[in-house]
Amino acid sequence: MIYLQMLITFIKIGLFSFGGGYAILAMIQQEVVLKQAWITEAEFIQVVAISQMTPGPIAINAATFIGFQKGGILGSLLCTFGVILPSVIIMLLITLTYLKLKKQAWFQNIFKRLRLLSLGLIAAALIMILGHAVKDLFSVTIFVLSFIATWRFKLNPFTMLIVSAIAGILFGSA
Amino acid sequence: MLFQIFASFFKIGAFTIGGGYAMIPLIKNEVCTKRGWITEDDFLDGLAAAQSAPGPIAVNISIYTGFHAHGYSGMLMAVLGSVLPSLIIIVAIAMLFHQYAEQTMVKRAFSALRPAVVALIAVPLLQMAKKSGLSLKNAWFPLLIAVLVGALNVTPVYLILLTIVYAVWEARK
Repeated sequence: MIYLQMLITFIKIGLFSFGGGYAILAMIQQEVVLKQAWITEAEFIQVVAISQMTPGPIAINAATFIGFQKGGILGSLLCTFGVILPSVIIMLLITLTYLKLKKQAWFQNIFKRLRLLSLGLIAAALIMILGHAVKDLFSVTIFVLSFIATWRFKLNPFTMLIVSAIAGILFGSA
Repeated sequence: MLFQIFASFFKIGAFTIGGGYAMIPLIKNEVCTKRGWITEDDFLDGLAAAQSAPGPIAVNISIYTGFHAHGYSGMLMAVLGSVLPSLIIIVAIAMLFHQYAEQTMVKRAFSALRPAVVALIAVPLLQMAKKSGLSLKNAWFPLLIAVLVGALNVTPVYLILLTIVYAVWEARK
């Protein structure tokens, strides 16, 4: 029963996240952390860090990791299959009809609006993890430094996370 | 041909760190320049569609290019190729992580990784905001969504369905 629920939850996540990896992470937080409570907010942040540090699409990495934690190999297969199933169906339909549809004003407007909505969803995800992640002088310092390094100096996320992990091992607390 | 499609996407999936956006230039180079499966114009149309459709962008673009290269079987190979490396690598990491999660070193590393992850999400959010044509006139909409979802716990699914209905109505009026 839990396996069926994992499949359905990740189909829903795949179907309702517009705008790529970060929008999907926001939906995963909604469904997996808040609604199903399969993982905690702290574990969710771990999943995001690991997904970003390993090769491949972030959303697939996150779905596989959560699936494995919750239901082993079968769980990871089901969650990954679930998150890409809507993509396969919708992208195929779009591939077959996109050239006709993209000229339609209503079609363009849907995606213009949904992209703005995704900004709001990602902002909401940010608000929710902020309290769990940034709470003392050390974490505020790391947040400000890593923000400036990625935003201002275009440091790539992988290097930034590795440097943060080393800083944590040296100066952080368990 | 079919195996080559699988191999091309597998290689990109296995060696690109940084998610879908980092994979796109590599996919473009492989399928347009190196293999010639699809023209650059067709690829860019597909990329626009991949960013509009729900789901992972890297998976969406592999569906599109795989279908262009070799129909339904090409699509299947491209999807398998782009997803399998993640699946294998993450399962291996998840198995190890279970054993090491409680170690002091790992805990200390995550004390810094947690705030770094917040920055990691904040930066692309700002970049996406710049790219999506956010202005003072339309900023109320994402702000309203952020408050409804982040503070009032409204389920995003209803907001998405409402937004689609509203967008169609807005374009038709």
